[in-house]
Amino acid sequence: MFDFLIHVLIMCCLYSMLALSLNLQVGFGGLMNFGQIALFGCGAYGAALAYKYDLGFASGILIAVGLSAFVSWAFAGIGRNLQSDYWGIATLALAEVVRIIVTNEGWLTGGAQGISGIKPLLPELSGRSQQLGNLAICGAVLLVALLACMRLTRSRYGLGLKLMREEPQLAQSVGYDIMSLKRGCMIFSGFIAAAAGFIFAHYITFVGPDQMFSSETFLIWAMIVIGGLGNHFGAVFGAFLLQFIFAFIPFVKDMLGLPTEFVAAMRLVLIGGGLIGFILWRRTGLFPEKVGGRADG
Amino acid sequence: MKRLLTYAILVAGLAGSAHAKDVTIGAIIPLSGASATQGEDQRRGMELALEKINVNGGVLGGKLSIITEDSAGRAPTALDAAKKLVTVDNVPVLIGEFSSGITIPVGEYIAQQKKVHLNVASTSIDVRKIKGDFYSVIGLDDVSGAFSAQDAIDRGAKKVAVIAPNNAYGQGIADAFAKKFKELGGEVAASIMYTEGQTSYRRELQQLEKSAPDMYVYTAYGKESATINREAFELGLTDTPWYAMYITMCTADSDPKYIEGQIGMDLNYVGPSGADYQAAYKKQYNGDFLSTFNGFAYDAVMMAAAAINKAQSDDPAAIAAALAEIGKKYDGVTGEIAFDDEHQRVTQPYLKLKIASGKVASN
Repeated sequence: MFDFLIHVLIMCCLYSMLALSLNLQVGFGGLMNFGQIALFGCGAYGAALAYKYDLGFASGILIAVGLSAFVSWAFAGIGRNLQSDYWGIATLALAEVVRIIVTNEGWLTGGAQGISGIKPLLPELSGRSQQLGNLAICGAVLLVALLACMRLTRSRYGLGLKLMREEPQLAQSVGYDIMSLKRGCMIFSGFIAAAAGFIFAHYITFVGPDQMFSSETFLIWAMIVIGGLGNHFGAVFGAFLLQFIFAFIPFVKDMLGLPTEFVAAMRLVLIGGGLIGFILWRRTGLFPEKVGGRADG
Repeated sequence: MKRLLTYAILVAGLAGSAHAKDVTIGAIIPLSGASATQGEDQRRGMELALEKINVNGGVLGGKLSIITEDSAGRAPTALDAAKKLVTVDNVPVLIGEFSSGITIPVGEYIAQQKKVHLNVASTSIDVRKIKGDFYSVIGLDDVSGAFSAQDAIDRGAKKVAVIAPNNAYGQGIADAFAKKFKELGGEVAASIMYTEGQTSYRRELQQLEKSAPDMYVYTAYGKESATINREAFELGLTDTPWYAMYITMCTADSDPKYIEGQIGMDLNYVGPSGADYQAAYKKQYNGDFLSTFNGFAYDAVMMAAAAINKAQSDDPAAIAAALAEIGKKYDGVTGEIAFDDEHQRVTQPYLKLKIASGKVASN
């Protein structure tokens, strides 16, 4: 049970990074990104390509950073004059383009077969100590990402992001460059998502285009909507909550002697139903955004 | 007195377990997501095997049971399931998953935990890289691709055009086919990987036509191949022979008039000893096989039970040793199963088939 718990915590940390990153875009900047999983994919393929071509760990990080910066930049630049919801559709399309490129350029990416056998992060350790090491790494990266996000949104830049979300024209009129705000927000949050992908690739030792389906993006969306848009702790809490529910539904099934189809159905009901329920009845999520230092329900 | 009682219970417990021991094994299959139909079919195969085993005396004098977990067709969920089965339920044997892209990471984890892993559906040749006690009960793409290439050559093809779905399965089998076909002196004039779910494949077909092949070789999922077959007929491409890899899958949803005369191969997923099994399946689920995958899941459970009984233990290492012994020649419902040095199934009985008067017939 202990080992299983460590695994669940590791996955919680990784999804928390993805949720933090998406929350920065959607919750603070109002950037309706439906292509988040592509940024995760940049990190994962950074690790995988470095392994495949034997470039070493450090260049893996460089590739991941480079790819995610490029894709984030493209996300920000695409349809720069579109309104937020139309821009959202464009991001969905762009993420699909990334996935299709990865599937088709088999000479580079291994195509649909993916890249397997990637080395774990702490190859000299094994068994439980390796798992604990992984958890420590994930926890540390999550903490750094969380602190960085908090610092960013408290700064003048964060204020600019919020203004861009509420009144883009006003933001422009008081001298904010909307395009550079968008770009900066996307690239910064792209790094966090790529970090999650990079660690994930080393953790499960396999990367393939099937990990980049758009349904994965909606899972992250569910986490931030339930946790609370525009609140960093909300995003992290939402990620932990959903991961824990998913991980422990199978135990409920075993205890009550329910068929396995129950688990399959429950997962879908929880994501879909949770999203709809929160959007209908509690738009602010479990942890509402703090405005002016006070909770604004 | 209390202590005595504890000992008594302990001894009684030990004595009991020496006589009869229930064994639980694990399975990870997609019961939701894109491959849920095949996953359900795998579940049926395992259920039938379990019934048969427990009616015939079970394992180690006790009952065999399977804890089935849903993978949702996602690697992270499948890994959650694998970790639960290994670290919490402590199963010695795991069966699954469906897609190669999920079986590989799950397999590497199971190998590292030194448990026995039976692969019942993933045919990518990359699964060979999984070390440890990993056994493939299903033949990999290199086996089926090579068989198809040999068969196409035997039927007089020299220059072929290939179309297959753009996923791990399609890329794998097309590569294996091309490699063997070229070795045998043939030429692959064109090769197209199609995107699943399109409403039309005319552009792809016209591109293939330009290469002027003397045989079209294709493999496609039911609904897509229905479109491909209809459009090929309308474009007049069916004057050239069509060769289907996994012909029952390719022609399942097609209109008979478009596929008349097609030739091809398929798994003999009901081997010489499989007739009883097929009858039992039909009786239990009131219908034909949902897919070709149930038989492999059935064989995997039967082999696992046989290995547990042979080893007289539920220790993974002992089961693996027994499995290697049984796997020298095992008579399964999917035909004879024999493993090579890397624990992969070497031979798989294939059928050479054709479509005659709208029905699949042997050739």
